[in-house]
Amino acid sequence: MEISFELNGEPVTVTVEPYMSLVDMLRAEMDVKSVKKGCEQGECGACTLLIDGAPVTSCLVLAPQVEGRHVTTIEGLEKNSLMIDLREAFIENGAVQCGFCTPGMLLSAYALLRDNPHPSMEEVKMGIEGNICRCTGFTKIIEAILDAVERIAPE
Amino acid sequence: MEYDKILSDILGREDFLVVGKNVVRTDALDKALGKAMYTADYVPRGTTLLKVYRSTVPHARIKSVDTAEALELPGVEAIYTGADVTGNNQIGYALPDQPFLNDEKVHYIGDPVALVCARDEYALEKAFQKISVEYEELPAMLDIDVSLSEDAVDIHEGGNIALTTRIRKGDAEKGFSEADVEVEETYWSPYQDHMYIETEAAYAVPEHGKVTVICNGQSPFLVREKVAHVLGWSLNQVRIIQALAGGAFGGKDDQGPLVSAYAAFAATKLGKPVALVWDRPESVSYSNKRFPARIKYRSGATEEGKVTAVEVDITLECGAYANRSPFWLWRQTAHAAGPYEVDNCSVDGRAVYTNKVYGGSFRGFGDLALHFAAETQMERLAYELSMDPIEFRLRNVLKVGSRTTCDQVLDHSVGLEQCLKAVRDASDWSSHREPVWEGSKVRGYGVGLAYHGISTSRSTPDWSAASILLNQDGSLTYRTGIVEIGQGSPFGHIKIVSEIIGVPPENIRIELPDTDSTLNAKPTHGSRGLMLGGTAAAKAALTLRENMVACASELFEVPYERIALVEGRAYDKEDPETSVSVRELAEEMYNRGYDPGAYGYFKAPKRFFDPETGLGVNYSVYTFAATVGEVEVDTETGETSVIRVWPAMDCGKAIDPLMIEGQIEGSISQGMGFALMENMELKDGLVINPGFKDYIVPSSMDTPQIEPCIIVEEPYRHGAFGAKGVGEPAIISVVPTITSAIHHATGLWFNTIPVRPWTMHKALKEAEP
Amino acid sequence: MKPLPKFQYHAPRTLAEAVQLIDTLDNAKPVIGGTDLVPLLREAACSPSHIVDLNNVAELNYVREEDGFICIGATATHSQVAASELMRKAPAVVDAVSRIGSVQIRNRGSITGNLCNASPAADSAPPLLVYDAEVEIVSSGDTAILPLPELFAGPKINSLEPNELVTGIRFPVPPESSSSSFKRIARRKAFTLSVVSAAAYVEMDGGVCTEARVAFGSVAETPIRAPRVEELLTGEEMDGQTISEAAEAANQSVAPVTDMRGTAEYRRDMCGVLLKRALYTAVGRLS
Repeated sequence: MEISFELNGEPVTVTVEPYMSLVDMLRAEMDVKSVKKGCEQGECGACTLLIDGAPVTSCLVLAPQVEGRHVTTIEGLEKNSLMIDLREAFIENGAVQCGFCTPGMLLSAYALLRDNPHPSMEEVKMGIEGNICRCTGFTKIIEAILDAVERIAPE
Repeated sequence: MEYDKILSDILGREDFLVVGKNVVRTDALDKALGKAMYTADYVPRGTTLLKVYRSTVPHARIKSVDTAEALELPGVEAIYTGADVTGNNQIGYALPDQPFLNDEKVHYIGDPVALVCARDEYALEKAFQKISVEYEELPAMLDIDVSLSEDAVDIHEGGNIALTTRIRKGDAEKGFSEADVEVEETYWSPYQDHMYIETEAAYAVPEHGKVTVICNGQSPFLVREKVAHVLGWSLNQVRIIQALAGGAFGGKDDQGPLVSAYAAFAATKLGKPVALVWDRPESVSYSNKRFPARIKYRSGATEEGKVTAVEVDITLECGAYANRSPFWLWRQTAHAAGPYEVDNCSVDGRAVYTNKVYGGSFRGFGDLALHFAAETQMERLAYELSMDPIEFRLRNVLKVGSRTTCDQVLDHSVGLEQCLKAVRDASDWSSHREPVWEGSKVRGYGVGLAYHGISTSRSTPDWSAASILLNQDGSLTYRTGIVEIGQGSPFGHIKIVSEIIGVPPENIRIELPDTDSTLNAKPTHGSRGLMLGGTAAAKAALTLRENMVACASELFEVPYERIALVEGRAYDKEDPETSVSVRELAEEMYNRGYDPGAYGYFKAPKRFFDPETGLGVNYSVYTFAATVGEVEVDTETGETSVIRVWPAMDCGKAIDPLMIEGQIEGSISQGMGFALMENMELKDGLVINPGFKDYIVPSSMDTPQIEPCIIVEEPYRHGAFGAKGVGEPAIISVVPTITSAIHHATGLWFNTIPVRPWTMHKALKEAEP
Repeated sequence: MKPLPKFQYHAPRTLAEAVQLIDTLDNAKPVIGGTDLVPLLREAACSPSHIVDLNNVAELNYVREEDGFICIGATATHSQVAASELMRKAPAVVDAVSRIGSVQIRNRGSITGNLCNASPAADSAPPLLVYDAEVEIVSSGDTAILPLPELFAGPKINSLEPNELVTGIRFPVPPESSSSSFKRIARRKAFTLSVVSAAAYVEMDGGVCTEARVAFGSVAETPIRAPRVEELLTGEEMDGQTISEAAEAANQSVAPVTDMRGTAEYRRDMCGVLLKRALYTAVGRLS
């Protein structure tokens, strides 16, 4: 079936089988490889992306369910100022190790700070509770997100 | 030469420019942009998919395998069984007990029986339903005691004991006769899954007489060796390109060669590219785990607080195959007394087969189970002696000149005592000797130590190689077989290179390891990636530096000694105005006949080990860690949380403090998971929690406050700038730190981990007066 | 893990259309968030021929007060419910849905889906049970109201007929004198199935409890109410002794099983502990 949606701000139309998951459609049909597959059960968060701005695990979304929606992956926020702050904070705080969870983690962190620009440490931890990182033990990720808060230029 | 003195002896400087500083990793940007490529990302659309067809019974003889009907299905391209293996149908790592494709017997639920190639997952699924294997089932040995019982059925020829180990140092009985107190307990440490977020994968592309595999192992050269072995080809017919790995922790060291061999075998047979990407249940159910171990431990100490003897009996559960158990068991045996000097040690070990998923490499490699037992024994002795647990440890801890369990004399680079004192002071230990209650919750402090021999045990030769190429424009290409699995060792290498040749790290590009162009660095395991790999890098850099200095010297017409290489320039120390950029220098080197490429090979100094007595120099050097931790136990619910951890580590020389902290924090999290929540659940040999839903790993919410790591630097003479590996000690020390803090808080001892809420609750109930 | 079954996908825009699809299609399954359904499909636990996606049915997305009821439309996500002003009147529900799953799951999953999945561990169930929630059901030409306990037929089995569609959940607007709380224990602090959970609802008059309702998750084949405990609490002074007695009674009123997520004994003992904590929180919220 034909699916039309907005991917990172660009309208796209793809023809896929309806029983394909969103993560598979993006990776296999559209070459969006930043969306990682870690469990396909919605448990690890590596496939996190934004649908209409809200972080979701794309392995649990059926491809046709994004018809008419806005899908954002890390590629779509490359030049976004909040994402730049977050990205730099991640890099400089040592929050990136193997990098496999990083795109999903950054998207969760982005949604968190977008909606709550001054989170407490507890809120930061909760904002990324759906993203498993097995390398860092989360400490540097949490520090990076709190550091990004400091970096965000006042509007 | 003594590589810890490069700075003073060769560079003639007092201060480091990049080593020891936090420098942004050059790979982090691509990762944060989502542009970093992992194995599955290389697989083009439409590639033939491979799936391993596995046994559904734990122990059986294969009577027949019928694939005919499956082969008729549309989309099914090929099915291979053991009969198709024309090279070597054997992939055992240490012992030849592991068939590539099982054609006679299966040894656990998940044993590979056939390889199915199809155009998509649906065809694979249909083929799996149509393959029929007729088994003659054998009694399943699902427990080490069943395997060791008199009426046990042999899992492999030669019996159910894969190997034994033994150390006799001093006279244990004499030691016990001198002891005033004795404790004897039995400890159990279970399976642990690595749970890297990226599963095992390989993508193989065949051409005439050659195959290229992109994969996520931990040693491209070991992968090459296994692939060539299975195919019956020579090494130069196999090209392995190591992609970035999305976490590995040892697991991919064992699985990387296997998934690559399956993919390469199918691709060469089929004559077209093949991709093998495991799903999560396959990864959890069938790949190697941390080996479980039962450790019976007797220790004695005098009233003065000196440990006089230990008697340790280790039963390691191999699972279906020996895999790395010889190395694992020897490590436990050689470390048996823990990080203490004990004159009288008696250690026996055996590795026992069972019909369960096999164990294998995992961060901490044997030392978790061992230290959990050894450190809990130390806690118990201190308790019996009414002595402060840290004070008691300080009276026994390994120092320079101490002899280890295997009688290895530690002649230098032993910073454990400093680590222990540092965490004692940082945590204000003496002010926290009473548990603190708040409502139903109680908090306590605990301590744990770790020592961990670097790289492989016994007399195994250990070496590494690396190469650097200075390009005409002054940029550099660095190649190492040490792989990037998240830890950042290759980046540590280029910091070492950068320090030596005076070119900023960002000008040095790290190529992916490719066995056609990279030198063999041996595996990325045993905390050797930086120490061995980095020293090879240093040697290459020293050679290149000589050439650069020689060229600059000719160019400036001044003697060698006056040349400095700093910040991308070469200049005359006595006349800094006389200088050239590395770009200009590179051009001159090409034109004037100075070799712009350099190669470094480093072999760790020769070691002596007697396998008969178990005594000798087991490891080149050891790394050490100490952790103090505060835990909180909710005595109503049994929930245990780690609140705060103070880590210290002797890393020889910190090449990158930020990355060291990353290793320590990750270790603490993984160790906390092992101590409090992670567990493989098996029912009749089948893993019933094959995913993140029921295999519980720590989340962001469980993260304790980890204080800045206290870095102790006792340089290792043969490591570049004195550096030692840092990836493992903290996961070893944190497990007993947690259980010791639990004891401090609640008075309860736990000899089995994980301590989950219901375990704690039961123990609390039973302890009620 | 299996590939997803080869179903056909339907995205009705109106409820009437959805009802008709569910009624006429053979082996059809409605989907909202898919957070429970998609994993089940991958485990081959069910294999529908048709998926009817309710997300585009605008009339099913609401959280509102109507005729003395708080009504939650079928497609309202956990996040939506957790953020709703109206839900402050039912704090136990907010406790549960604001911590169910993860951010990603809460953004996608719905309360209705969570309930229809009929897991004994569904965190939204105990709080809704103590609010006497009802399930609104439509089938071709018919509407019905089902008390929530009757939706649960067994572990992961709901009582719906294949042509029935849940359009929403409702419960009476709680009186000002009421409060509630939900507590759970899990194997880690975030995002995992509950080992045991408890919800408590109280209506207070001075220090006296005039109405009490108590429910537990993960201690039986379905989420359950505990009437004996409720009787003990009703009409009593809500003091330490009453609460202790209720906690003791809670332990006696459940018969959980041992599985990899916890032992039977532990779950039994924790019912009392969680109930006690939920009662204290609920009463505390009124002061």
